[in-house]
Amino acid sequence: MDRSQNHIHGQSAANFCYQFGSDNPLLGMGIQQQFAPFTSPFGASSSTNIPHMDWNPATMLDNLTFIEDKIRQVKDVIRTMVDNGGQLPCRQGDLTQQQQVVNADLTCLIVQLISTAGSLLPSLKNSSFLSQPPAGHMDTVNHVGSSSSFIPNATTISEENKEDMCSPEDYEELFKGFTDGAMEGGIEIDNVFVEEQDAKDGDEGGDASMDGENLPPGSYELLQLEKDEILAPHTHFCSICGKGFKRDANLRMHMRGHGDEYKSPAALAKPPRDASVEHELVKRYSCPFVGCKRNKLHKNFQPLKTILCVKNHYKRSHCEKSYTCSRCHTKKFSVMADLKTHEKHCGRDKWLCSCGTSFSRKDKLFAHVALFQGHTPALPADETKNSSDQISRVGSHQEPAKFPSSMGSSFMWGTSSSDDRGLDVKGLAGCSEDILSTGNFGSFNFSFGPADGFTGEPSGSSFSVLPPEHFQSAQKKGKN
Amino acid sequence: MSQDGKPSSAGAVAGVDALSQDLLAHALAGVHDPRDRKSCRLASRAFARAEAASRRSARPLRCEALPRVLRAFPSLTSLDLSACAGLDDASLAAALSSAGGTELGVRRVSLARASGVGWRGLEAMVAACPRLEAVDLSHCVAAGDREMAALAAAAGLRELVMDKCLGVTDVGLAKVAVGCPGLDRLSVKWCREISDIGIELLAKKCPNLRSVDISYLKVSNESLRSLSTLEKLEEIALVGCMFIDDGGLRMLCAGNSLQSIDVSRCHHVTSQGLASLIDSQRFIQKINAGDSLHEIESCFLSKLSTIGETLTVLRLDGLEIFASNLQAIGDSCKNLAEIGLSKCNGVTDDGIASLVVHCGYLRTIDVTCCHLLTNDALAVIAENCRMVECLRLESCPFINEKGLERIATHCSHLKEIDLTDCRINDEALQHLASCSELEILKLGLCSSISDKGLVYIGSNCAKLVELDLYRCSAITDEGLAAVAQGCKKIRMLNLCYCTQITDAGLKHLSTLEELTNLEMRCLVRITGIGITSIAIGCTSLIELDLKRCYSVDDAGLWALSRYSQNLRQLTISYCQVTGLGLCHLLGSLRSLQDLKMVHLSWVSIEGFEMSLRAACGRLKKLKLLGGLRSVLSPELLQTLQACGCRVRWVDKPLVYKG
Repeated sequence: MDRSQNHIHGQSAANFCYQFGSDNPLLGMGIQQQFAPFTSPFGASSSTNIPHMDWNPATMLDNLTFIEDKIRQVKDVIRTMVDNGGQLPCRQGDLTQQQQVVNADLTCLIVQLISTAGSLLPSLKNSSFLSQPPAGHMDTVNHVGSSSSFIPNATTISEENKEDMCSPEDYEELFKGFTDGAMEGGIEIDNVFVEEQDAKDGDEGGDASMDGENLPPGSYELLQLEKDEILAPHTHFCSICGKGFKRDANLRMHMRGHGDEYKSPAALAKPPRDASVEHELVKRYSCPFVGCKRNKLHKNFQPLKTILCVKNHYKRSHCEKSYTCSRCHTKKFSVMADLKTHEKHCGRDKWLCSCGTSFSRKDKLFAHVALFQGHTPALPADETKNSSDQISRVGSHQEPAKFPSSMGSSFMWGTSSSDDRGLDVKGLAGCSEDILSTGNFGSFNFSFGPADGFTGEPSGSSFSVLPPEHFQSAQKKGKN
Repeated sequence: MSQDGKPSSAGAVAGVDALSQDLLAHALAGVHDPRDRKSCRLASRAFARAEAASRRSARPLRCEALPRVLRAFPSLTSLDLSACAGLDDASLAAALSSAGGTELGVRRVSLARASGVGWRGLEAMVAACPRLEAVDLSHCVAAGDREMAALAAAAGLRELVMDKCLGVTDVGLAKVAVGCPGLDRLSVKWCREISDIGIELLAKKCPNLRSVDISYLKVSNESLRSLSTLEKLEEIALVGCMFIDDGGLRMLCAGNSLQSIDVSRCHHVTSQGLASLIDSQRFIQKINAGDSLHEIESCFLSKLSTIGETLTVLRLDGLEIFASNLQAIGDSCKNLAEIGLSKCNGVTDDGIASLVVHCGYLRTIDVTCCHLLTNDALAVIAENCRMVECLRLESCPFINEKGLERIATHCSHLKEIDLTDCRINDEALQHLASCSELEILKLGLCSSISDKGLVYIGSNCAKLVELDLYRCSAITDEGLAAVAQGCKKIRMLNLCYCTQITDAGLKHLSTLEELTNLEMRCLVRITGIGITSIAIGCTSLIELDLKRCYSVDDAGLWALSRYSQNLRQLTISYCQVTGLGLCHLLGSLRSLQDLKMVHLSWVSIEGFEMSLRAACGRLKKLKLLGGLRSVLSPELLQTLQACGCRVRWVDKPLVYKG
């Protein structure tokens, strides 16, 4: 549960933090300025090109220089602290405030240091950490942002709180939490992503074998959520007002509105993981639908790995497909994410079968056609053809000129059809007259003898009937 | 034949009328020449009725005649529309529907080069002819998947030729394969968009295929693997398939029904592949391996003996072949009827001798460009192959009248001989004239033959159908007179560059009523008068080439437009014609489909525009000077294109030769 929700927490935190920062312009600005050099080397490389993918020494060198700079900065900060501490005991309030500011700076710098240092390791197995999209990267940033941004209010917080915040161990722990969260969150994102893919591809079938840890039954704790629980829109509820949230992080952000005590870094931080969790049994899930392969009663039961898997599986396999693709109006999905994935590709399946099935590859279509009797590949614009089909059949018999003009070849139709009609209807009657009027161009006509026009036989005998002066007169006329 | 029909019919009209239609139809069935049949028709109405009732095939030359053809001949089964000028979707659909409510019995339709017909026309045709079995769509370059989809509705289709239907892809092929599962003969030559995937589906859907032509396709061995599953496959042509190699031929080894294979121009096929094919397919009758095997290896030659009994045709054009190879072929293939050795290096008299000594049944021997052959080779051919009918000896410079004398005395069945570019003289023609069966005689570039030689030919070769006198510059009008006097059956005549010919010679030629193709390039002395006599006399004329006949003027065109109603192909480049003549020509000639008119410097732009407008529905091919492209109106060009006409624009400087 925690693991799967972790990245969600990170992402939502990113959204919140922007707002939060803008609420506190004073320090928000300061922090942003400090971030400026940080984001440039890392941000650029992570957003545009993934460092480890096209690994190059230049970027690495940049990062190292950056780390050097940062270390120097940290040194400076500490040096000022030492200097200040030795100089004079100022007013208590001033000192704490300054300490807080310095500590916040420190935290921020160290976070940057660590993340940059991490990006230097191209051989890291889990590339997702390095290539982790801005969400993960923002994660760390936001934690820092949120932790430092309530500092202005800290002047008014109680003594205990102050002590809490000042203790270096706390900072260490807090910081550890941030970085852990960031890192694990990143890794989790990847895992969840992979699992979703698997689930989509093989109907969760290959899930257990795919993840490499084919747990023997009994070696894990089996949970079965009920249908309502699975389909519930919210899993986290505010203990004060009862409002529901999908994500724990959102709930924590919500809680700030209920009092200052929820604004402490500790309250806002991700709940630390229990030490005992490590020793606990791994959790696996069963689908509540009896008869399903993912149900624990099934003979070949294959457990689901996470809650997210349970949710997706249940919706895909046992719920109505309520989301319809707005483009093709045929494909339906029960998981919104699936619809969005489909919509990205919808319309690109250009290989259509006469049965309506579409394929992204020609060989797949042809294999389909080979398999089923009577199926044929459909022509790209089959629909337009069929719609005009009727018209053209009727039209070709009587009124060729009235072919659908939308077909693009109407030009040809128009010209040829008028010609043909004329010839076809009164060709026979007209030509015998034409023969007598010699000057008429194109008058020497095909239909002289009844069979001459259409056979391969020479029509010599019928033409030789013409007197020679016939020809000469025509010639003279032509010369005139 | 025609002499038999005419005189008897004139007197016996009443008697003929009394006979029953069956009897008359039976009598007509023995009359094969269409001209003779026409004589019968004209002589008696009874014959005309019998003919109309029994006629099975028709070849309309103009689309206006098509409705009448379909009405007049109710038992028509074969319809050839390949020469039908002006045919388009609307006219085809209208003609088929006007045939009345009855279903047409037409089974075979040829629409070769009918570029004006699209899917609408085909759809109407398939709907009107429910018994359709064979369709030829070759060279309809614009035809694509939609046309194939229309054809696929003809479920009974067994034969389909779609050579050079450039728009057809795998989808179109799949349509046909699914729609016509009974297909047994298919040619998709030059349909370059078809790939392995389409062929695979074809093989799955049409198990009865017997003959497949996939020449010049970009397919690989996978296609042959698919085709090898066809149990009845007898004939396969793979000309110019660049991605097919020996591995593919090995896949074809499955089954033993194959009778004919053509792997010419497959550059990756070697002797070994062919050898392994022969090893398993034991009934092969025809092998064409021209321009493919890089060398003849002994593995191939030794395997030939396994099919020695059945092999009748072997073509090895363009290979290096030595006497020993030919001996091996002769030893194993006793029943060869045709051997092709054109452009083979290394073919000598000895080689030919060792081949023909065993192959007594040879009828066709092609040794084009085997430069080393001498009279000895002809002597040994004459001695051993008494049945020989076709001899192609083009560019064999060492043969002369002595060798031909042996041939002429021994091979009385000789029908075709090609002596282009051989140094033969009138004496050789004197010997050849004794071959009274001769139908095709090619004497191009034999500049030493004269009228004397032609007189010999004219005196005895009455069956001559084709005569090629290209660049026989010593020929004059007298020679033509002799030929025209003696060889009334001539259909194709090439007189290009025989520059001494004048109008008087053409006057003699005008007695050749059956002449269909006449090429007269660069006959600078002929004028409109000569053309007029040709036009009046040679009414069957289909193709006429007048390129560079500088003296031909409008008078010639007037005559052509008046009398040559069957003219389909005309070249008048460089002629001295004007816009008026051109206009009249194009307006009148209703069969004209192919026109080449480059450098008509006397014709104005308006002249071109007007004349092309007059004929734009009928023209299919047009050759024009490139400069006209920009000055002719775009509407005209658009119309031409819409009617399926292809225009070839040429840019040549105007140079007068002669």
